[in-house]
Amino acid sequence: MDYIRTEVPPKQAPATSCDYCGRPFAAPDRLTLHKGLAHYGVISASEKESFKSELADEADELRTFRLKALGMLVILYFGLLLMYAIFA
Amino acid sequence: MPSSHNTDPPVDESEIKSSADHSTTKLEQMRFRRPLRLGIQFVIWTVVIAFFVDTVSAANGLTLSGGSRDELAIPQWLYLGTGGATVGASALLASFVTDRIFIRKIHEWNRPLLPVDRWEGVVTKVGRAVGVVILILTIYVGYMGPQLPNASFAILVTFAGGRAALPMVAYLIGNVWSILNPWRTIALVLPTGFQTYPSKIKRWPAVFGLLTLVWIEVIFPVSTVPTVLATAIVGYSVVTLAGAVVFGVDPWFENADPLAVLFGLYGAVAPIQRHNGTIQVKLPGSELTNAEILSDTSDIAFVIALIWELTFSGFITTSAGAGTVSTLVGIVPVELIPTTVQATVVYTVLFVVGFLVFFAAYWYAANLSRQWVGTYVSTETLRRSFAPSLLAIAAGYHFAHYAGLFISLSPALVMALQSPFTPPANPIVLTLPGWFGGLSIASILVGHLLAIGAAHAVSYKIFASRLVAIRSQYPFVLVMIGYTVISLWIISLPSAIPPFLQ
Repeated sequence: MDYIRTEVPPKQAPATSCDYCGRPFAAPDRLTLHKGLAHYGVISASEKESFKSELADEADELRTFRLKALGMLVILYFGLLLMYAIFA
Repeated sequence: MPSSHNTDPPVDESEIKSSADHSTTKLEQMRFRRPLRLGIQFVIWTVVIAFFVDTVSAANGLTLSGGSRDELAIPQWLYLGTGGATVGASALLASFVTDRIFIRKIHEWNRPLLPVDRWEGVVTKVGRAVGVVILILTIYVGYMGPQLPNASFAILVTFAGGRAALPMVAYLIGNVWSILNPWRTIALVLPTGFQTYPSKIKRWPAVFGLLTLVWIEVIFPVSTVPTVLATAIVGYSVVTLAGAVVFGVDPWFENADPLAVLFGLYGAVAPIQRHNGTIQVKLPGSELTNAEILSDTSDIAFVIALIWELTFSGFITTSAGAGTVSTLVGIVPVELIPTTVQATVVYTVLFVVGFLVFFAAYWYAANLSRQWVGTYVSTETLRRSFAPSLLAIAAGYHFAHYAGLFISLSPALVMALQSPFTPPANPIVLTLPGWFGGLSIASILVGHLLAIGAAHAVSYKIFASRLVAIRSQYPFVLVMIGYTVISLWIISLPSAIPPFLQ
């Protein structure tokens, strides 16, 4: 992952940064996920716990997102169907 | 590089966003806001003029002389909207795939095909010999042979072969240019490397070279008059060999030679890749998630130039493009300057400004993406990581624009290869079947779908949070939709001969 460069806005201290690789994160939940994904072998048991609960939270959010995306697809589909029925 | 602050209180999301765009990206925004605004205005005006001109010429019945292929059974806006919606819908569908391991497995899937060492020597020698012989024949026949575009060995090999078939081989199968490249073969026997290649200028010479080659193709009659083509090839050879001798073979062909860079990048789309001395089969486009393909802004500019040159040369050969050029040439009331000079200026300005607009759109998408998800990942990283996916789009455009040309000229090309010195009296030019237009539309859409898939995998590599990864793609998807709609619009227009050029 060394090709990822980061820039923290100069007047602002980074919200959080990773203890293992130093990469700064704008929000703590992203850092928790990053630690679990990139450093799973070395992180402490409590960090593993919080990674797992963060993953569960993320899964919930993803489910909500999927419903929204499905809604968009349905709107797109029926929108196009209507357009074709009227204009083609 | 980042410093370690572990226990700062969590910062409000909106605060992060606003401070991010006020500080680091502010300079970039200021630098790009004005050109961007001008660019957007330019695009709007061009489109307005183009539509206006198209309706006028259609009303006059002029398009019939250009060989109309306007056979759309649905309104044009619905056709364009459907194309854009297809890309958008596929991005939405891709966002349903949230299993990290699955995504990584798909893009890392490969099967070793052959170890290279057994046959590499022979194939390289034969390929290099073929490349050099064809280059010499092309120049010789260009000057001494018949001056007929559809029968000249020089023109058929350069355009049906080098312009149409070789890039298709590069993105559909694998890059063979690294072996065929005749200039590289010649440079290998010359004394080289008198200067070190200035690493500061990166691949900008290749970007400039590619734009220059396309500009020459548009302005000069290289595709119709063999002597002009041969002169252009001699000029290119002199520049290339001089560059390779001064800076060394590998530095020159990796950074400054537009053709070598072009084939190398098209080759990244291909299913056949070379890794550590073996030839591997991969899924098409899966190599585009490799962050090492592009390393600098100049590389991104090259990728955008690939998309733009195909869009531009497509546009000026349509009735709307020809009409736009005629209108712009007519606007300037300068009687003293000859029309051909005015037309050259118009073509050049359109070409350069359009490229800048396409580049600015992508550049701005990365800024937008960074602000939108409030990440600390630099815009430079975002730009560099997402840009390889655009190569699949370029490949789709290339196929849409050149597959037809290659197939219709392929019998003539075969005949020319069999007897370079005695062209046939009646060269066969195939007429394409009606469904071929559908194949062009399909290839543009397939290119975009590969690009969407690659962008999805790239975002998962960069971001730890999957929601952030999904949201970071939106601006890039919007730019891709924009490119698709423009490209689909161009191939739906009736074709015409670009005005004022020989």
